[in-house]
Amino acid sequence: MEPTEFLNLYLLSVTIASILANLVISLYGVFYKPHYTKKIIAVSILSDSINTIAILIGFRRWLSPSQPPSVAIATDLSPEGIKKFANVAVDPLPQALVLTAIVIGLAVTLFLIYLGYMLYRHYKTLDMREIRRLKG
Amino acid sequence: MIPGETLHYLVMAIVALISVVATYMAIIEKDLLKAVIFSALQSGMYAILYFLLLAPDILLVYIPVAVGLIPGVLIVLISRTERWEKE
Amino acid sequence: MRIVEIAVIILIVLAFGLLITVAFSYIAPGTLIRPLGEFYLYATYNPYDPIVRLFTAMSPESVTAIVWDFRGLDTLFETSVFYLAIIGALALTRGLMPAPKGEEGQGLSVIVKSVTKITVPMILAVGASVGLHGHLTPGGGFQGGSVIAVIPMLMIVIFSVLFLAKRMNITGFLILRSIGLAIIGFTGVALFIAGLVQGVPAWVFQNMPKPGAPLSMPVEVHGALISGTLWFFNLAEMIAVASGFSIAFLILLLVKEVEFRG
Repeated sequence: MEPTEFLNLYLLSVTIASILANLVISLYGVFYKPHYTKKIIAVSILSDSINTIAILIGFRRWLSPSQPPSVAIATDLSPEGIKKFANVAVDPLPQALVLTAIVIGLAVTLFLIYLGYMLYRHYKTLDMREIRRLKG
Repeated sequence: MIPGETLHYLVMAIVALISVVATYMAIIEKDLLKAVIFSALQSGMYAILYFLLLAPDILLVYIPVAVGLIPGVLIVLISRTERWEKE
Repeated sequence: MRIVEIAVIILIVLAFGLLITVAFSYIAPGTLIRPLGEFYLYATYNPYDPIVRLFTAMSPESVTAIVWDFRGLDTLFETSVFYLAIIGALALTRGLMPAPKGEEGQGLSVIVKSVTKITVPMILAVGASVGLHGHLTPGGGFQGGSVIAVIPMLMIVIFSVLFLAKRMNITGFLILRSIGLAIIGFTGVALFIAGLVQGVPAWVFQNMPKPGAPLSMPVEVHGALISGTLWFFNLAEMIAVASGFSIAFLILLLVKEVEFRG
C-alpha cells in the first residue's frame, strides 16, 4: 500500500478511535462518579459521541485527488447536474436521523435537571451514596 | 505541499484528539463549574468536527444547544445546589 | 475498589478493540454510499426522470426533505416527545411557582444593557432567516428555533427574571407553543381534508402528487420555490421550539425556595 493511502487510512482511524475513547471515558464517568451533576455531564457527552459515530458512517471519501465530496444540497438543477450530484455528495440519511436524536436527548437532559433540583429540595444533598443510604 | 485529502483528515484528527483531552479533564475535575466549562470546550471541538464532516444542518442545531443552552441551565442548577464534589 | 475500576476499564477497552477490528469495513467511510442514501439524493429535486418524478419532494435540500417529507412521521413523534418533556416538567413544579410580583432586580451595567437592546433584533433576524429558508440552504425549523431561544436566556441574565416574567409569563409562551403545534397538525391533514371534500383519494402528510393520489401543495409562489408543506412545517416548528425552550428556562428560574417541612 503506498504511503499516502496508508496515512489517510491512519488519520481516519485516529478520528474513529478518539470518538470511541470519548465514549469509554464518559461511560466510566456515569458509573463511578457519585455526584448527580457529574452524571448528567457524562450522559450528555455519551449521547453526543454516539451521534458523531453515526455521522462518521455517512461520510464519503475523496473520489480522486481533485474531486472532494460535497454537501447534500443540489446547486445545479439540470438533469446532468443532478446525476453528478448523486455521485459526489455525502449521505443525507444519517444526518436526518441524528437531528431527531439530538432534540430528544436535549429534552431528556432538561428533564433530568429538573429532577435533580427536586431531589436536592427533598434530601438536602446530591451525593447518590448518601441518598441510597437515607432511603426516603 | 500536503495533498488536499491528507490535510482534510489531518485537521479532523487534531480536533478529535483535543476533544479527548477535554473529556478526560471534565470527568476528573472536582470543581463542577470547571467541569461544565470543559464540557462546553468539548462541544465546540465536536462542532468543528461536524463542519469538517460536511453536515451543516447538524452544526446549526448543535452550536446553540450544546455550547449555549445546556451549560447555561447546568450553571443555574449548580448555583442552586452544590458546587464542590466531595470525595 | 481501585483494582475493580481498572479491571472494568480494561475490559471495556478490549471489547471495543474487538468491535473495531470486526466492523472496520462497515464503519470506515469509503467512496460509495448506501443505495438508499443515493436514491434520496437522486430523488430530492427531480421533475425530469419519468419514474422518479412520482416520488420527488421538489426541494434541493435533501436533509430537510427527508426530515419533513420522506420520513415525516418520525419528526411528528419526536415533536410529541419534546412536548411531553415540557409538560412533565410543568407538572413537577405545580403549586411551587408564585405569581411574578415584587420589584425587579438590578441586572448588569448600562453598557451591557444598551448593547443587548441592539443585538436582540439581530438575533431574531438571523434565527428567522435560518429557519424560513430551510428548503434552500442548510437550516430548518429546529435550527431557527434554537437560535431564537437564546434570546430569553440573554434577557434573564442581563436584565432580571422578573423583567421577562412580568411582560411575558409562562402562560403566554404556552399559548405560542400551542399555536405552533396546531399549525403542524393542520398542515399535516390539509391535503387529506381537501381530498375528502373533492372526492379524490389523498394521504395524510402528503406533499407532492403520488401515484393514485393526484392532489399537491403549491410548489412555487410567483416564481419563488416553497416546496409545498416544507415551508409551513419549518415556520410552525420554529415558533414551537423557541417557546418550548423559553418555558424550560422560566420554570427553572422562577421556582421559589420553600423550606422542607418535616
